[in-house]
Amino acid sequence: MMSLPFVLFAFGLGAAWTSQREVAMGFWVAGVLVLLVLFRFHATDVLNLGL
Amino acid sequence: MTADLSRLLNALGLVALDTVLVLAFADQLWFRDLPCPICILQRAGFIAAGFGLALNLMFGPRPSHYGLAIMGALVGGVISADQVLHYVVPGSGSYGNAIFGLHLYTWALISFVAIVAGSSVMLLFDHQFQSTMPLPPPMTLLPLSAVALLALLVVGNVASTLAICGVGLCPEMPGGYLIFHENLGLAFKSP
Repeated sequence: MMSLPFVLFAFGLGAAWTSQREVAMGFWVAGVLVLLVLFRFHATDVLNLGL
Repeated sequence: MTADLSRLLNALGLVALDTVLVLAFADQLWFRDLPCPICILQRAGFIAAGFGLALNLMFGPRPSHYGLAIMGALVGGVISADQVLHYVVPGSGSYGNAIFGLHLYTWALISFVAIVAGSSVMLLFDHQFQSTMPLPPPMTLLPLSAVALLALLVVGNVASTLAICGVGLCPEMPGGYLIFHENLGLAFKSP
């Protein structure tokens, strides 16, 4: 699960290497979305700050 | 700024970014400082930012590629800022080793800000986007090495993350390479 963003970025770089720019950018978007979801799962502690 | 100069600066930027990821691996493997889950996500943020620079090198400089680099750095910056804020209060502890007085997540936040700033400055130079050639020229040694190293580091992070976290979410405080203990059942039992 945690390696999924890296896998998607790897596919993206592979697509870029084969000159498929739009596909590469699609993999980048998917990778960043998964990254944000994983951050949401792991950032569970409340920050001890008074803002 | 010409497209050639832009390509050189992008290559140098990607080399710098690759170096950050190499140092993170060195800290993990040499000093046995396992990355926490949030640290792993910051590595992904660096790769997301480097992706935009790599596209600049492979397809020629475009504003959309700088956009990817900036957005990737912003996501990584938010993640590292979250970790900095966890430990910013004196007495609240820290995670991992300090290098030159700052912890890796603080260096990461500084690096992400630098990527955003650098990419924003690069966007100011319109002339690099006015290429007359239908296809970008083939990559020379430096850009090719930077992109190849990024690809290698991405694959390395897939393997490392699988080893540390197994196939699920990471434990909050990783105590070892989980995949060998749980997913593959290779733990050595004491007599």
